[in-house]
Amino acid sequence: MHRLSGLQRDVLSLYRQCLRSARKKPEETRENFRSFAEEEFRQHKAIDKKDFSTIEFLLRKGRRQLETYESPGITNITR
Amino acid sequence: MASLRTCTRLANAARFTPAVWRRGFASVEPIAATTEKISASSELVSEKKTSTVKEPAPDKDSKIKTFHIYRWDPDHPDQKPRMQSYTLDLNKTGPMYLDALIRIKNEVDPTLTFRRSCREGICGSCAMNIDGVNTLACLCRIPTDTAKESRVYPLPHTYVVKDLVPDLTQFYKQYRSIKPYLQRDTPPPDGREYRQSKADRKKLDGLYECILCACCSTSCPSYWWNAEEYLGPAVLLQSYRWIADSRDEKTAHRYDALNNSMSLYRCHTILNCSRVCPKGLNPAKAIAEIKKGLAVTG
Amino acid sequence: MASIARPAVFRQVCTAAPSKRVFSTRTTPLITSAFRTSKPLSRPTPSTIIRETLPKVASFHATASRPILPPPPQRIQGTANDPAPVPDPSAFHGAYHWTFERIMAAGLVPLTVAPFAAGSLNPITDGVLCAFILVHSHIGFQSCIIDYFPSKRTPKTRKGLMWLLNAATVLVGVGFYEFETNDVGLTEALKRIWHA
Repeated sequence: MHRLSGLQRDVLSLYRQCLRSARKKPEETRENFRSFAEEEFRQHKAIDKKDFSTIEFLLRKGRRQLETYESPGITNITR
Repeated sequence: MASLRTCTRLANAARFTPAVWRRGFASVEPIAATTEKISASSELVSEKKTSTVKEPAPDKDSKIKTFHIYRWDPDHPDQKPRMQSYTLDLNKTGPMYLDALIRIKNEVDPTLTFRRSCREGICGSCAMNIDGVNTLACLCRIPTDTAKESRVYPLPHTYVVKDLVPDLTQFYKQYRSIKPYLQRDTPPPDGREYRQSKADRKKLDGLYECILCACCSTSCPSYWWNAEEYLGPAVLLQSYRWIADSRDEKTAHRYDALNNSMSLYRCHTILNCSRVCPKGLNPAKAIAEIKKGLAVTG
Repeated sequence: MASIARPAVFRQVCTAAPSKRVFSTRTTPLITSAFRTSKPLSRPTPSTIIRETLPKVASFHATASRPILPPPPQRIQGTANDPAPVPDPSAFHGAYHWTFERIMAAGLVPLTVAPFAAGSLNPITDGVLCAFILVHSHIGFQSCIIDYFPSKRTPKTRKGLMWLLNAATVLVGVGFYEFETNDVGLTEALKRIWHA
């Protein structure tokens, strides 16, 4: 397997963080959080891997979203 | 005007948005309630039934001025930001840039996004880069020379949230880090309020007026390169505002927090901050005062 | 910087049609990185006039695609509601450093004038002048490196450049020493160049 670039590692680590924090949600809605995160990442799958600024923007946006949704007050997520 | 606004809003809402671009939203309802499906409202008026807002027809003696405005839409992150041009008749527009922006938003393009609130230079929301200078749109007159085209950008070297809206998270975090509030351990002598002599109060003039619009910080080249660690003129001015306050008792702590190579000493007296401040304050002087105080106290 | 990184691009630019931008390193914001508006704060400058009058030649930096490399991305530590981290106080890098730097800079003024005003050559003044110049330029370059290579974003480059600077300072120091001991000395050399 080829070595991942720093940005790719950042994306993967964000995804991992998302899944981890989904695990802290109530069991009934856990699946919603997980699929929400998955879908958010899938949506932008087509982005060129050299399009750094876009990826950086999405990363920033993703981190912000994660920060918001991580809060224990949020119990469910829908699209 | 009100009906016009309603029309534009309806016209805007009627546009079909693919599901991919629609934002997800979080809910805090009890779990049982969320099982029902949330569907988009179906009572939308189709665009055929609403009127279309056209750009106002030019008069004979109209003064048409062109505005180029920075546009970027976070819903299409892979598209490059672009400059969009709008033409306005200055006779029908208010004197300030904010009036022009509001008129564009109301009458021409409701998708234009910018922050505004007080329209009189008190809130600091509408800070942007107008014709190459950071300023508040509400305090910046539109030059009546219609031959010259105006260019409006968001604050330089900030991440853009949308169009003219900059992301000031780091700026506010830094403001938070200087503890912008009165810190005291001793109660007031008369048990009522913290009193100050007139001379002491005078020291705060030129400091307390700062509205944290971030015009100065984002005009500082040093802040452009080191926004993570250098506090920037606005926050340093605020820091000095609390250092200079005679009622504050944690002055030494405040000095200590700045006594490192990054927080304060990245200021190289470029003086862009004092030049751009829309409120006419002098952040560079405040920074110099902090440096002086630190040089004396060590 | 951009052209050093990409010599191929540089070559293309040289052969390409003369650029309109002779002196400016930055062009329209459309070209720059997508999410930061890197329009520098500038009012119409004399360079605009120069640009109109001088013959149009492609400049070293006028690459068509990206005028200068954008700064590396900013990392915001902690959540939006945390205060930015406050570094530990260190007067050695803070207040003392600043005071020392100013004293150094102010001290250079009389030291440069004195030997010529007095008309006499004193090896000690000469030595002190050399030392001050050395330290002053070391601090100056250090400041440049700290400014443009933040340790948060480019830690390795920062470290490397710092060592390079230290090495250069030592080299120049040795050079000064040699010049002072085995040659005519700084003031005398300047005098000779002046009269040459």
